Amino acid sequence: MMFVRTIDRIGLAVINGCSRLGDFGLFGWDAIVTLFTTRLKVKKVFFQMSYIGIGSVGIVFLVGVAIGAVLALQSYIGLERFGSTQFIGPIVFLSMTREFGPVFTALMVIGRAGSAMTAELGSMRISEQIDALQTLCIDPVQYLVVPRVLASTIIVPFLSIFCSFFGIVAGYVTAVYMLNINAETYMEAIRSHAEMSDITNGLIKAVIFGFLLSLIATYKGYITRGGAKGLGIATTQSVVFANVTIILADYVLTSLMFTK
Amino acid sequence: MIKITNLKKSFGEKIITNGLNLEVGDGEFLAIIGRSGEGKSVLLKQLIGLLKPDSGTVLIDNQNIATLKGKKLQEVFHKCGYVFQFAALLDSLNVLENVGITALENGKSIDEVKPAVIEKLTSVGLAQDVLEKFPDELSGGMKKRVGLARTLMLNPKILIYDEPTTGLDPITVRLIHELIKKTHVEHKITTIVISHDIEIFKYATHVAMLNEGKIVYKGPAQSIWECDNPYIYQFIRGLPEGPIKQIGFE
Repeated sequence: MMFVRTIDRIGLAVINGCSRLGDFGLFGWDAIVTLFTTRLKVKKVFFQMSYIGIGSVGIVFLVGVAIGAVLALQSYIGLERFGSTQFIGPIVFLSMTREFGPVFTALMVIGRAGSAMTAELGSMRISEQIDALQTLCIDPVQYLVVPRVLASTIIVPFLSIFCSFFGIVAGYVTAVYMLNINAETYMEAIRSHAEMSDITNGLIKAVIFGFLLSLIATYKGYITRGGAKGLGIATTQSVVFANVTIILADYVLTSLMFTK
Repeated sequence: MIKITNLKKSFGEKIITNGLNLEVGDGEFLAIIGRSGEGKSVLLKQLIGLLKPDSGTVLIDNQNIATLKGKKLQEVFHKCGYVFQFAALLDSLNVLENVGITALENGKSIDEVKPAVIEKLTSVGLAQDVLEKFPDELSGGMKKRVGLARTLMLNPKILIYDEPTTGLDPITVRLIHELIKKTHVEHKITTIVISHDIEIFKYATHVAMLNEGKIVYKGPAQSIWECDNPYIYQFIRGLPEGPIKQIGFE
């Protein structure tokens, strides 16, 4: 009996999971179709870009600097054992542009703007503002979802460039002024090992992360139920799901882009 | 003409409407009464297509709105206005933007929309000085008036009010009731109101009672106090004994 009940629960969880995933897929499809078939609310997109972008610049800068500096320090510790400290520059550059820039930018945007998107839309759902939009002949997806998703998709790559740039600068400062690596050696090693595809692939990742994180955040807000408690749960789930999705997507994208 | 036939809706195991039938004639002012948690709001949301029924039909002017989507459903919203229980004003917009939102979203400028907004606000008894105010600066009664003005901007043929007087003082309740009646008469709008307030019988032309997912009574409002339907008799007098189950007191 116990065994049957366990199987029953697992089956129910799988069905619910598939159903939610299907709902999310349809929501995403609806957002994409709405983006290409209705008049774009340009002002709203710019407002969201400003909210997500300018609002996240400070935190992205701090994270970029900290990661760049740590990377330089850690690389130095490892490479010094093999007498290869001249490779600190390429390691910092490649790590920032390929991985840490896009991934940490996305994680920071999830924490700062993604959670706010879920809370805002969730609050609107609970207070029937989204229903009100529908009854006023306004498509809530066009009005609320598309501007946020588009703004995030556009702005996250810029933030990622910003994060990577200051990470590389922080790595340079750490390597040259703290670890006494020759500045010319540092720059020359980057020039000879870096490729344009390192930057473009990192940017492609950032575009996909920006799209995914905003879609998850708006979806969780859009379907919020159950008052203040439900809103709290939705916001937590939004942050957790978005973080996990970004990490998993990063693995998939890295496998697709960088394996030869 | 609204005709609801065999409407069924449930959330999980909780049955909300259970084979509900109801007809509302053109120009009628119908008050729907029933206990809290009976599903009156869910019924109204199915009526205008905000919620899809599990089965059954909702005919508005012979069009089944239960199956409509997208643009076709938007046409229903043009026809049927919905005034929400707590007004559901967009809290990031001021009164002018809230009332004029549909026109503004269709590309009109604030200056173009403003005269119509002022006209609708005046018709619900609000002065121009509220235009720049945000919802959190308005009283409960003012919010409901703004909500009504916003709905009237679409010039609907049918107006649905979800508990318009909840949480208001008796004077404001009376003013809101009179406003609903005035709007009903002046605009010749078919009006459906959910209310727990027995004062609504003074203004409505008909009363329907929802109990256990079905309409158990529909009749004229004027003679409601003489009505011998056991559900109505118990409900309007607030009697503990009768066919209406005492939810939570068994």
